[in-house]
Amino acid sequence: MRALGEISERLRRSTAQVSTRSGKAGGSGIVWSSDGLILTNAHVARALASVTLWDGRVFDATVVARDTRRDLASLRIAATGLEAARAGDSSSLRAGELVIAAGNPMGFIGALSTGVVHSVGPVAELGGESWIRTDVRLAPGNSGGPLANARGEVVGINTAILNRLGVALPVSRAHEFLLHGPRPSLGVTLRPLPFGLMILELEADGAAAAASLRSRDVLLHSLDELNRSLDGVREVVRLRFVRGGSDRVREVAVRLRSRAEAA
Amino acid sequence: MTNELSAASESLAATVERAGHAVVAVHARPRFSSSGVFWRPGIVVTAQHTVRIEEEITVTLPGGAKVAADLVGADARTDVAVLRVNDTSSAPLPRASATPSPGHLALAIGRSHDSGVNATLGIVSAVSGPWRTWHGGQLDQYIRLDLTLYPGSSGGAVINTSGEAIGIATLGLSRIAGLAIPASTVDRVVDEILARGRVARGYLGVGLQPVELPDHHKGLIVLSIEPDGPGHKAGLLIGDVIVALGGAGVDDTEDVQSALDSSGPGTPIATEVLRGGVKTAMTIVTGERPGRS
Repeated sequence: MRALGEISERLRRSTAQVSTRSGKAGGSGIVWSSDGLILTNAHVARALASVTLWDGRVFDATVVARDTRRDLASLRIAATGLEAARAGDSSSLRAGELVIAAGNPMGFIGALSTGVVHSVGPVAELGGESWIRTDVRLAPGNSGGPLANARGEVVGINTAILNRLGVALPVSRAHEFLLHGPRPSLGVTLRPLPFGLMILELEADGAAAAASLRSRDVLLHSLDELNRSLDGVREVVRLRFVRGGSDRVREVAVRLRSRAEAA
Repeated sequence: MTNELSAASESLAATVERAGHAVVAVHARPRFSSSGVFWRPGIVVTAQHTVRIEEEITVTLPGGAKVAADLVGADARTDVAVLRVNDTSSAPLPRASATPSPGHLALAIGRSHDSGVNATLGIVSAVSGPWRTWHGGQLDQYIRLDLTLYPGSSGGAVINTSGEAIGIATLGLSRIAGLAIPASTVDRVVDEILARGRVARGYLGVGLQPVELPDHHKGLIVLSIEPDGPGHKAGLLIGDVIVALGGAGVDDTEDVQSALDSSGPGTPIATEVLRGGVKTAMTIVTGERPGRS
């Protein structure tokens, strides 16, 4: 199909490779505007150094904003005249629609894979928000790259692989992020457990680190509960947690940076 | 902007949506739900291996309501379980009129309570004639799928691009690929389960051992006979060599299973035996295999 070739080529040109300081390819990114705004996952933009475009040009990148809860980050590179991606409507996606993912899985630059939308809706492991799941074969390195519909419009940001299904953030959440900035966060990476959320990593300057929470502490809250209190009006959030396999439930008060400061 | 690709995409999504009106989520095991298909009005079919409880089974209907379902019966050999659901608003899925060929596009349609209808796309990778499952059941065809099935997809519908059911998706019958339990097999099993609550298999009540005969043919020698069993009543003797059942030659016990699968209990089967080197014809009326249904 001629259409597939054209659509894929356009999508490939709007897909960037995001590399970390150690020189390794961290993941992918989406060229969001022709004047150098790049969108990617927050977990890809952790120790960021450079962005490589489809034509091989490499640019130093600065992080404009990072939202660990939405797993989104915006980067800026000093370039103009880029081929920006066209955004589509993620709210009208239906199971069975054809989708195309572009990215740099395992070091292959500009690799494409195709499949269909598996489902749109909440994923049990990821809280109550809506996600796009696809049967597209993804690999590490696809993270932060675009998921496009059959018209080549970006409808999602490939973010994870869960039970062999590709999981993409709906592009509507990227619009929210770019418009309103990051939401208040604890500055942690969490892994859901049957009874709580285990802290895997803490950002050195994050709210959780400032409140003396440590890696491997288990927060006794559900993801939805946590999100509700983070989005609430209070600046201080009280969290219950257990540490080091002990049964004793401890409590900590975490002071969040206000929305205005964070944005 | 429209193009061939988006037209194909729209048509796939529409097919999924239509078929999804007959696909439910089945909650009959811990952790992962599975899927099920309205096969007849008020009758849902799912994959037997995903049914781990017999009571308090629920299904999420296409409209989103969660309702109770009764387990009518199940057949582990073909991996088919039949549920009765008090819902007559969901129309059963139409069946594919033709057998698929390798290369035909196929979609696996499932449902989960959280995210609603779900789909994966691929092709039919192999089709062959009747196939015996490792649990001893007989499928009318072996239909292997080259599409990704997830834990929750088992029991869902495998459809063609016209939205007609090729069969029921299962990961439980093969280690190397997902299979479709053919629609005709599902029909046969559903009929039996609705009639009897289970799939009864014919039984001869004899112990058999394959033997080579002097004319290079093969047969099965009778080593034991259950007292008052079907073989005993028909006059079989220890030492008889069964060479044909129902008009077809039998070389090994597999052939006997095939002959018995196609006939439920109480069916007269024309039997040819060698007794003292002389061919003798007799009729065995099959009984029902005791236990382990």
